[in-house]
Amino acid sequence: MGGPQYDLLMNPLGAVRQTFEKAVASSQPSGLDPTAVYRGKDWGIVDVLNQFLFSQGGLAQVPILDASSLKWIKPNTLVRFRGMVQDMLGNEFYIGAFKDGCTWRTNKFLDFSPFSVPPVSETTLWERHLFHCVPVPGQNSWAIESTPYPLKINISNEMTCQHGEKRRRDDDPDGISDFDCCDEGSSSSNKKQKDCGSASHHKIAEITNGSSFPTKSFSCLVKVYDMPESQFKLNEVVEFIGIYTFDPELTTSDRSDNVDDNMSMFDFMDDVATHLPPSKVPRIHCLVSQKLSTQDLISNSPACEPLPNVIRGIRDSLVSYLSCTLGNDVIAAQCLLLHLLSKLRVKSDVASVGRLSLNLTGFTQESASIFGKQLNNAIKTLLPYSHTIPLTIEYLNTAMLQPKKDNESGRLLMGALQLASGTHLTLDETVMQSGTLNSKGVENVLLLKHLMEHQIVEYDFQFYKLEMATEVQCLIISEAKSNILPADLVVPVCPSAVAPVSASEEQLHAWRWYLTTVRSLPYSTDTSICEMLQNEMVEAMRKDRSLGCSDLSRWMTMAQLMAASFGEKSFSVEHWQMVKEIERLRKERL
Amino acid sequence: MESVCLSLFLKAHINLMHWAGLGLVGISPVQSLVWECFAAVGLFAGNLSPFPANSTPFLSPSLLVASFPANFSRLPFLLPLNLTWSDGQSAMASNGHSSPFGQATPNGNSNSSQTPRRSSRRRTNNSNSSPASSPFPLETPPSRPAGVASTPTTSRRRGTRHNPNATPSTPLSTDDAVPPYSSDRDENDNMETDGQDDTTPVFVWGTNISVQEVNGAILRFLRHFRDARSASESSEAADLMSEGKYMRVVHRIMELEGAESLDIDAHDVFEYDPDLYNKMVRYPLEVLAIFDIVLMDLVARIDPLFEKHIQTRIHNLKSTVCMRNLNPSDIEKMVSIKGMIIRCSSIIPELKEAIFRCLVCGFYSDPVLVDRGRINEPTRCLREECKAMNSMSLVHNRCRFADKQIVKLQETPDEIPEGGTPHTVSVLMHDKLVDAGKPGDRVEITGIYRAMSVRVGPSQRTVKSIFKTYIDCLHLKKTDKSRLQIDDSVNHDANNNAANHEEDDASLYHDKIEKLKELSKLPDIYDRLTRSLAPNIWELDDVKRGLLCQLFGGNALKLGSSGASLRGDINILLVGDPGTSKSQLLQYMHKLSPRGIYTSGRGSSAVGLTAYVTKDPETGETVLESGALVLSDRGVCCIDEFDKMSDNARSMLHEVMEQQTVSIAKAGIIASLNARTSVLACANPSESRYNPRLSVIDNIHLPPTLLSRFDLIYLILDKADEQTDRRLAKHIVSLFFQNPDNSVQEVLDLTTLVAYISYAKKHIHPVLSDEAAEELTRQYVQMRQRGNTPGSRKKVITATARQIESLIRLSEALARMRFSQVVEVGDVAEAFRLLEVALQQSATDHSTGTIDMDLIMTGISASERTRRENILAATQNLVMEKLVTGGPAARALELLEDLKKQSSMEVHLSDLKIALSTLASEGLVVFHGDTIKRI
Repeated sequence: MGGPQYDLLMNPLGAVRQTFEKAVASSQPSGLDPTAVYRGKDWGIVDVLNQFLFSQGGLAQVPILDASSLKWIKPNTLVRFRGMVQDMLGNEFYIGAFKDGCTWRTNKFLDFSPFSVPPVSETTLWERHLFHCVPVPGQNSWAIESTPYPLKINISNEMTCQHGEKRRRDDDPDGISDFDCCDEGSSSSNKKQKDCGSASHHKIAEITNGSSFPTKSFSCLVKVYDMPESQFKLNEVVEFIGIYTFDPELTTSDRSDNVDDNMSMFDFMDDVATHLPPSKVPRIHCLVSQKLSTQDLISNSPACEPLPNVIRGIRDSLVSYLSCTLGNDVIAAQCLLLHLLSKLRVKSDVASVGRLSLNLTGFTQESASIFGKQLNNAIKTLLPYSHTIPLTIEYLNTAMLQPKKDNESGRLLMGALQLASGTHLTLDETVMQSGTLNSKGVENVLLLKHLMEHQIVEYDFQFYKLEMATEVQCLIISEAKSNILPADLVVPVCPSAVAPVSASEEQLHAWRWYLTTVRSLPYSTDTSICEMLQNEMVEAMRKDRSLGCSDLSRWMTMAQLMAASFGEKSFSVEHWQMVKEIERLRKERL
Repeated sequence: MESVCLSLFLKAHINLMHWAGLGLVGISPVQSLVWECFAAVGLFAGNLSPFPANSTPFLSPSLLVASFPANFSRLPFLLPLNLTWSDGQSAMASNGHSSPFGQATPNGNSNSSQTPRRSSRRRTNNSNSSPASSPFPLETPPSRPAGVASTPTTSRRRGTRHNPNATPSTPLSTDDAVPPYSSDRDENDNMETDGQDDTTPVFVWGTNISVQEVNGAILRFLRHFRDARSASESSEAADLMSEGKYMRVVHRIMELEGAESLDIDAHDVFEYDPDLYNKMVRYPLEVLAIFDIVLMDLVARIDPLFEKHIQTRIHNLKSTVCMRNLNPSDIEKMVSIKGMIIRCSSIIPELKEAIFRCLVCGFYSDPVLVDRGRINEPTRCLREECKAMNSMSLVHNRCRFADKQIVKLQETPDEIPEGGTPHTVSVLMHDKLVDAGKPGDRVEITGIYRAMSVRVGPSQRTVKSIFKTYIDCLHLKKTDKSRLQIDDSVNHDANNNAANHEEDDASLYHDKIEKLKELSKLPDIYDRLTRSLAPNIWELDDVKRGLLCQLFGGNALKLGSSGASLRGDINILLVGDPGTSKSQLLQYMHKLSPRGIYTSGRGSSAVGLTAYVTKDPETGETVLESGALVLSDRGVCCIDEFDKMSDNARSMLHEVMEQQTVSIAKAGIIASLNARTSVLACANPSESRYNPRLSVIDNIHLPPTLLSRFDLIYLILDKADEQTDRRLAKHIVSLFFQNPDNSVQEVLDLTTLVAYISYAKKHIHPVLSDEAAEELTRQYVQMRQRGNTPGSRKKVITATARQIESLIRLSEALARMRFSQVVEVGDVAEAFRLLEVALQQSATDHSTGTIDMDLIMTGISASERTRRENILAATQNLVMEKLVTGGPAARALELLEDLKKQSSMEVHLSDLKIALSTLASEGLVVFHGDTIKRI
């Protein structure tokens, strides 16, 4: 199944051991201390794996670890996990290599040592980094890759020997299927968890209320080797390929020592990992990792290059689809397209260039229920990550939007605004009623406003706030222009007909490809039209004194996006005129 | 001979016990003897146990407080986690055969496994067999015929402790002859070298540390180190002060019975003996043990009766490690890290010594020492007559405990790379360090980085391969919270301190400062700074210049005799149309300034700005809490939407802006707090757009009293002007067409700018040159004369005394920007220009086009005043004409009509009403609502 000499899929640890022994053996003649040579370094296992995965097509055979596959994946096998780095838990020191008798052994890619612990003198400490990863929040179903079905059968057939353990885990179905990504106790009735997780129970309840993410997701503790921690950033989407470990012995004894002793100090000395029991949070010892961009999520992209006429064709069909969604309103559809293509390009201290948040107005409660739903569905099917927040007074007053560090447990609690870059955020203001915001509500509104204006979310670290750059497109649906959340572009929607929206799978695929490709196109600058633009602007300002800095930069952004939507890298007079026309029509509606 | 050897051996053991907190393992003939001495000396090193022995019930805190006496052990070096006895033995046994310890060998996974390492640190060169069977190097006590040199001290100390009055058993003649601290260098050196000559050097196992050598080095350091600075100051007194810096400290500690630790600046160690410093950092456990012993010797020589154990606390290492850079090679090294305390555990009482009582006969056992985290509960009563089985119970009150605390330290925001989350590290605090820092404090900690193994469960033998790491804290220093070090220019003592600080950091910052100085020499530094301030906000250059002056600030002056002080801070008000990026400027300033506070006028209350008194919910004490202005002392307080602020809140600003203090008197607290802050406020005109026909006062509805306290008032108006439009268009287009490579190089980045400003504020205190002073007077007189244009009768005040203060401040700030210690004529000229630009915008009387300070001082311009006088005269005439005393009343509107007919100028009802009320106050008319009666 695997490579010539190793069964990497089912017994990756064997391969780890063998390659290590081989490497040690080869280094012995040179008289070097193997532990020193291989500290923080790969001894060949990664190469072997890379070859297997990418040259021999092994990647497709590696099962993807998710909430459902967790039940049948065998421990100590190779798995794949796609997730967002939700929290960085720092580094961990472990006995990397030790001498057992006269042979060197390694504990790399293992939770604990299978051999008895040798005396200090014969061990060396190595370092690995811990990342707490969750499935990308708001990931739409089409973007989730799952293990091909036949493989499941294959593996579960081999699982018979695993029965005992499987049963044990099946005993607490809540624990796995309903496990919320941001808690460790959940509302599960699991007895074992109850007594150890009770301390943090009330906190969890709060989070579960606040988070509007589906609670079926689970999380993963990924241990990453041989790289600086700065390799990954918070909220990045990464694919990890590594060894899934699960040890029932570890689990049964997990934290039981903490239950009876009331010494607060041991909470202190505990590393955060103990708050994530292995029975709920699977461990992955990462061998190979790769950052994922949205493009990677579009499987088997059409083989066409971004040719102008192809792009134009896709663009036209997409605009008509979007206008259908919005009740045959082409102007709004055009604006929506520009919005979907927007991306923060340049960010300096004060100004940010390239974002285009959109406020679609003119929705009443009724029309919002029709078009809003259609719009949401359209966005869901088009973009990989999207998230909708209903802006009600109650929601704002109670929800935890801000990610917050809980210093008691040492964990970063996920707020609704901890989003992977490239997520689309829809804020539905039509459901807003008049009422009083409490202090939390005000804070949440400010947070949203800050996100829209600067593309920054402040994370609360109790004693200080840390600003994290995010890249989130914000769409606001409201009755009239939203004053709470000032968007760059305000477009009143004038639906004329309610048409059933439909699109074929190929069309959807083409559109997805179009959106991600166009968004990632580089911009180039054509300075030849600078002069023309300046004249146009001066002229416009003379006509309309109310024009400000923000209007002018919006025009520039739109023109640039317009050009991009046709697959062009820099914009021309033509695009500028199109934007001006849209702006004129838009102004008429205001 | 025998006793000498023994005492040497004992010494080794005392200190190893002391350090490692180990009990004794194995069977050895000497062991019991060692144990006895050990116990008698009182070097009780205990261990805390994560899993308290079953026999040790947990103790209620109330019992613990009283029973904690001065403790001799150096607790930081105790491992908080222990293996069980059997674990320890097996680990030790397997470690018995000597295997070389690499220098970077990581820590053992348990206490016990370290035992052999420490215990055999006195392994001598001539020991031909390594201690394979016994962990203790018993077989080769070094043969030293003249071992008097270093041993007697130990035994004497032991002697004094054990029995202060008894004569030590070992001969001490040589030592006695030496006066306790007649630090005669030669003699000492002889003594030290003697020891080395006579014996083969003793090395700490696995290291290149020779115990004698280090011993000598430390002794030399303690005795002879003199502060270079203080020594140079008092070179004459040097003879008198024959003692080194630390000897004096030791004496002081001995005089003040309270002190228990000697703070040693690692920089001093490095200066005196770099080799010792390196050894100390690399092998802190070993070297610090020797350090403590040397110190004890020293103390014992000075005063044999001194009972207390003085601990060495090293601080101020030469380099601090970033928390996220701690890695396995740092384990067992001395490190110094900065961070913020985020969590403190409650104080954990740690049992050091237990006393049991027999429940049957009431017999009290001898104190039982904690042995590797466990207390061995006697199973039977020791009294011969009783001998009851399982009758011993712990007597809490008579046990001894030590304090311990675990603190979580987190990285501060400036150390976190982009897209990362802060790291945390656990720190173990002992004894005096407990509660030294509170959550939220920024601290610098010096300690030893350690690791301990994680057990899978209490019942399991298997140890996880994972290690938990923590730092054994040696020293804790609270660091300043502010982003910049702001010196206290009013207070000269603080100035000196700042200078000292500067010297300390000199080596680190020297290059940086040189760079700043180079920058300051650039001819276009002023323009460059202006450009660097909020580069994304287009135009508004003069406003930016004003803001720059505010950042640099003038010199605060304290008039010696009267005690009055003149503020050096420059206050600026920005008034302008909406959407003119005022708020962005404010945000930027807030980012730049040290201790900047940003508030919005709408949400600020008077107490929120100044200070308020609250009751502590727990203790019920009244507590003074600082408001925004007090918090931004020596910084800039940015107040957005100044016009929306309540009058009450605004009135509080009067005091702050001129006197620079906040006085409060309430709830039994009368205090005056410093609020030496520059106020940067921005306001929108009351009718949302600025009405050029009205005065500033009318436009923004601010009391003139407050307005006059602003040095510069800028009007940022959105004027229709093709030039500015074009520049705006260009600015926006360039933002989009920005090439990363052709970004303007001449702009200082934010950090440099901050450094530049803080350096200037700290070190540059410009003084007016004579010429500049002359120029200032000349220009000021000229400015005042401008109001009295010949031929014009009306007196217009174009400048006031407040302006000259502002001018001085501005020109000082301008000189500071150039790092110039002298204010030159050019600075004065520029200050005048800045002031004039600001005045032209704000204080111009729009009806005449001239600058009129009355506009700001009173809100009424001189031309307005003459107009009012005219109307008053006309009204008076009219009233005299039309109305008869006691006759029928007239209506105001009728009067207005008549007045309009009569006079050439435009008259409003409001004008008439003002005139009528003036007449009413003169007693000429009675004025009721709309009717006027003449009296």
